[in-house]
Amino acid sequence: MSEAEFQRNYFDLFDLPIDFTVDQQQLGARYRQAQGELHPDRYAGASAHEQRLAVQYSALVNQAYATLRTPLSRAIYLLELRGISQQELTSQPVDGGFLMMQMELREKLETSMDLVDPEPVLEHLIAEISQDIAAEQARFGGSWSAGDLPRASSACVKMQYLDKLLREAEQTEANLLEN
Amino acid sequence: MALLQIAEPGQSPMPHQLKRAIGIDLGTTNSLVATLRGGRPVALPDEAGSVMLPSVVNYSSGSARVGETAVALAAQCPADTLMSIKRFMGRGSEDAASDAARSHYQLAAGSEGLVRFSTSAGDLSPIEVSADILRELRERAVATVGGEIDGAVITVPAYFDEAQRQATKDAATLAGLKVLRLLNEPTAAAVAYGLDSAEEGVIAIYDLGGGTFDISILRLYEGVFEVLATGGDTALGGDDLDGAIAEWVLQQSDAPELAAGQYRQLLAASRRAKEQLSEVDRIALDLTEVLPSGGSITVSRETLETLIQPMIKRTLRACRQCLRDADIEGGVDNVVMVGGSTRVPLVREAVGDFFGRSPLTDIDPDQVVAMGAAIQADILIGNRPEGDLLLLDVIPLSLGLETMGSMVEKIVPRNTTIPVSRAQEFTTYKDGQTALALHIVQGEREMVSDCRSLAHFELRGIPPMVAGAARILVTFQVDADGLLNVEAREETTGAQASITVKPSFGLSDDQITEMLQASFKFADEDMQSRQLAEQRLSAWQLLEGLKSALEADGDALLSSAERDELSDQMTLLQALIESDDADAIRQKTDALGRRSEAFATRRMDRSIREALAGVSLDALDEEAEQ
Repeated sequence: MSEAEFQRNYFDLFDLPIDFTVDQQQLGARYRQAQGELHPDRYAGASAHEQRLAVQYSALVNQAYATLRTPLSRAIYLLELRGISQQELTSQPVDGGFLMMQMELREKLETSMDLVDPEPVLEHLIAEISQDIAAEQARFGGSWSAGDLPRASSACVKMQYLDKLLREAEQTEANLLEN
Repeated sequence: MALLQIAEPGQSPMPHQLKRAIGIDLGTTNSLVATLRGGRPVALPDEAGSVMLPSVVNYSSGSARVGETAVALAAQCPADTLMSIKRFMGRGSEDAASDAARSHYQLAAGSEGLVRFSTSAGDLSPIEVSADILRELRERAVATVGGEIDGAVITVPAYFDEAQRQATKDAATLAGLKVLRLLNEPTAAAVAYGLDSAEEGVIAIYDLGGGTFDISILRLYEGVFEVLATGGDTALGGDDLDGAIAEWVLQQSDAPELAAGQYRQLLAASRRAKEQLSEVDRIALDLTEVLPSGGSITVSRETLETLIQPMIKRTLRACRQCLRDADIEGGVDNVVMVGGSTRVPLVREAVGDFFGRSPLTDIDPDQVVAMGAAIQADILIGNRPEGDLLLLDVIPLSLGLETMGSMVEKIVPRNTTIPVSRAQEFTTYKDGQTALALHIVQGEREMVSDCRSLAHFELRGIPPMVAGAARILVTFQVDADGLLNVEAREETTGAQASITVKPSFGLSDDQITEMLQASFKFADEDMQSRQLAEQRLSAWQLLEGLKSALEADGDALLSSAERDELSDQMTLLQALIESDDADAIRQKTDALGRRSEAFATRRMDRSIREALAGVSLDALDEEAEQ
């Protein structure tokens, strides 16, 4: 495997500026272009060595695309590029006010199922969490551009908490629709 | 008159012709084989003109009889006639026991987890039985296309797990087929439709087969088919509906316990009733062969609809989950129906209502999967110009590792695009721990006991350290067939172990080799000449590939010393290629392959850059406007 290729960061790989804001259309187009060249299917008649290389390259391109596509994984990756690991992020202290809010939201989610008509409550809750996520994303974007890494890290941690909560809420809503 | 072509002396003419590639739909109830004729996929018929081969094998004569002949013997010798064998692929005997009992099969005892059926031809695994079906289809294809098959794409339900995929690949190898790719059935159907319409947009594929249900959501955009999400139920299909009708008949007629043969008759009658009720409102189901009292019973479409309702509900639940996973804005543009059971009007209606689109049925729902597989086989074997349709598929189930407390740590979540490579760091639990037991599992649940166990392996030689000090990097790599390879490495010392996941219920490579050798279709000599032919072909592919690569990029990417060295090695291999020494050719091919790796890497690097440079600003602007 060529050293150079694997040391290139995901933004370089798709020839995009290193930034929290990513042009999704451009990212998608470049992803499809790259897979069009590198996917193992394009090397089905090639030698075993080339096929193996194609699998590795194609996997790298998939990984890069998946990372840059969603805001949370993109934020985590940006911090990683600045030397802040996932472990460091998780061990960061989170302010008490935020944690209280989280607990309240979580309690709302848990008790919603006991209600006679939980659906509107759940929907409201999901909208609330989504708004909070948007706010933290904006805060991350701003701090990142301003070079304020501690503030960006704190926003990223909150994005992680909220993302997890959102997924649980959506799952609860899904289960509700099934029954 | 067209002039016949003759190859230059010493050159193999083969690569200049179109290669013979086939697509096989190995179904629970029926199997088909298709190939391309004049650019269009066609399902190949048998001598009697039928394209569907019932996936039924009879062993009462001591050897395999496949298809209609076997179906005719089903009632007479139930234990020797194996049907719906796909349901047993890659499953352990414990988990297959109840299904086997229901089908009146005899499971062989004491085969440590591996399902084996006792038949007059000996104890057979589902892999061997499937190989007999595949062999029949291969022979049909050879007879129709007039020569040995160069490669095949075999379809599997999208929801098949690792063990089931590996079992399918093993069966194909056993049947003497070179597998170009395992392709998910709904994806194959999408390819058949995609080629047909070339219409961009989001497509949902609703595939209710004989034994499995699959739902996939794909996007076709700029010649790339991207699977966005997939889901389903491996234990739900048309067979269950036949079973439900049969149970209903038994309830209605207060019947005594049926013998195996009679139950088979009843199932067959139920299937016919189901098929006819797509056309008429009520039918009389003849019980002469089934019950001592004989007579007949009326089944109405209404009854059928009541029986099918709970199954449709289950499929729609999976559809809802899949739509959520696909995370698309706006609905789907088209819904495609696959599988014979989607002929039932109520199924079409319910699916149409759910997606708000009336389902497409232009291509025969029984043939569409095999046709899509044939197209993909044709692409992969290299019969089509480059730049043709590209498929980006996903893994259907999450892959993970067992951690302390029997919990599952997911490494690759479901619906991740393949090929994929994901790594995660783990550490030791006890002071001085020198080995690590890795348990690879598949599934969505949190506890190991609720997931499917895929493989166990050990990393040894970790130097004694305090608990938590070792840094063990575990890498999961899934290739384009959806097959998994796991590697573990202790980072401070470089101790390493890896495993290609051969699920506990599959066959080992040795077992496959043994079976291949034992198979009378492959006498020893055949095997050797086959190996030689394969070695020559791969040597030839490498040489031809390198020649054109050198012509194109040799000057730009290699120093003259590097170039000379490669040329020398190529000359050596070229000299060896006509010899009869398969081993020597293989060694030399491997050696040249390794030497040319740096060159190949540089070329790929460059093609990424060129690919991206090729995205013109105009194209991006157009896209932004859409």
